[in-house]
Amino acid sequence: MTNLQPFDVVVYAIPAFILLIMLEMVWAARRAPEKYDPADTRTSLLLGLGSTISGALAAGAIAAAALWLYDHRVATVPVVWWAWIAAFLLDDFNYYWFHRSAHRVRWFWASHVNHHSSQHYNLSTALRQTWTGPLALSFAFRIWPAFVGFQPAMLLTVGGINLVYQFWIHTEAVGRLPRWFEAVFNTPSHHRVHHATNPRYLDRNYAGVLIVWDRLFGTFQPERDEDPVRYGVIRQLGNFALLHNVFHEWVAMLADVWKAPWGHKLAYLIREPGWSHDGTRESSDTIRARWREAHTPDAQPD
Amino acid sequence: MLAAKAAALWALPGATIAVQGALSLVAVLLLVLAARALRLGGDVRIRDEDHARALADEAICGFTPVDIVIDRARIGALVRDAAGRVLLIRRHGSHFVARLLTTHAGVRLDQHFLTLSTGERRFGTVTLDLGPQAQAWAASLRWLGVQA
Repeated sequence: MTNLQPFDVVVYAIPAFILLIMLEMVWAARRAPEKYDPADTRTSLLLGLGSTISGALAAGAIAAAALWLYDHRVATVPVVWWAWIAAFLLDDFNYYWFHRSAHRVRWFWASHVNHHSSQHYNLSTALRQTWTGPLALSFAFRIWPAFVGFQPAMLLTVGGINLVYQFWIHTEAVGRLPRWFEAVFNTPSHHRVHHATNPRYLDRNYAGVLIVWDRLFGTFQPERDEDPVRYGVIRQLGNFALLHNVFHEWVAMLADVWKAPWGHKLAYLIREPGWSHDGTRESSDTIRARWREAHTPDAQPD
Repeated sequence: MLAAKAAALWALPGATIAVQGALSLVAVLLLVLAARALRLGGDVRIRDEDHARALADEAICGFTPVDIVIDRARIGALVRDAAGRVLLIRRHGSHFVARLLTTHAGVRLDQHFLTLSTGERRFGTVTLDLGPQAQAWAASLRWLGVQA
């Protein structure tokens, strides 16, 4: 029952990615040249290129892990139309929890931070992907349904569709979409919030395709016109050096583990980014709390 | 057996990876050249003190400057809050980045030019043209890190 072959939709989408980036650049040249920066774009695209190579090199191991799970499955899901829908929904649910963990657990953040370290938000940012995701073992979030009986090829296919969907939402060229669409799907507006460094927006909107997961699990935050989004990470990197962009958080995390007292070493791997054993640093929670305290008289309901 | 099945399912041959990588690299180069040809990036400057205040608050939530000096070309600034913390703001591409200065070790004055180093190699050294204010700021920065 493992003869189904995955359809790698990402490969076929690449020409469309390139064309759409070109179109967005032309839009930016006419409307807002600062929306792109050639050096930033170069770093983003090289991160994307490296990510596809590291992904291709790790693909065999990931497939082997998924197949092992499938060989030990507790049930068998048939390859029928409703199974594809179920697989897509389950994968999107898994993506939500992967992504939430990627922001709340420093081990996963160390690889995911690459996607957020640009101060720009454009279609090239979408391709700004990690090289070290397989090393972080974050694929575990996505392959466990093989143990339930979903064919690995089905999971790899719907995972690719999820990734392709997320490309077009990385833009400032699209404002708000019809309310019904914003209510159900992840959109440019929702995902701008996700990439923001504004205290109000930190660690919100983790969705892949369906924003309903954020609404369901209490992490949804709409974009607000009076609080224009600023992009990047809390401590902006300040350089475009490719390898520094790839590995800086791994280096910082391992340095923290090395220097920490024995009782706190593990916490530097599994606690949220910004956590420190002596309380000298700030996480998104502490920043937001301080911001809320300072803005309480002016605060408006979310 | 499992490895063979996995390879059949998803793994790509090395040659395929190499070809895809080469083609992607060409596409990257073309897009970067296009970004340059379209003169993307703009020329951002610190408009005024309010802009410097906003940049400080963006860098450190709640940072409220009481002293501000902006480079004469408006590509950087120094801001100090009531607690005596000094934040160095500099241009990065078409945005700005900032770092707290924690020591006077990397501060050098040359007439109207103040050169500042944060100790963070990747952040680099920044030279600001502060005009007649350079000396006063240089003097005040001598106390950085001394109290600690």
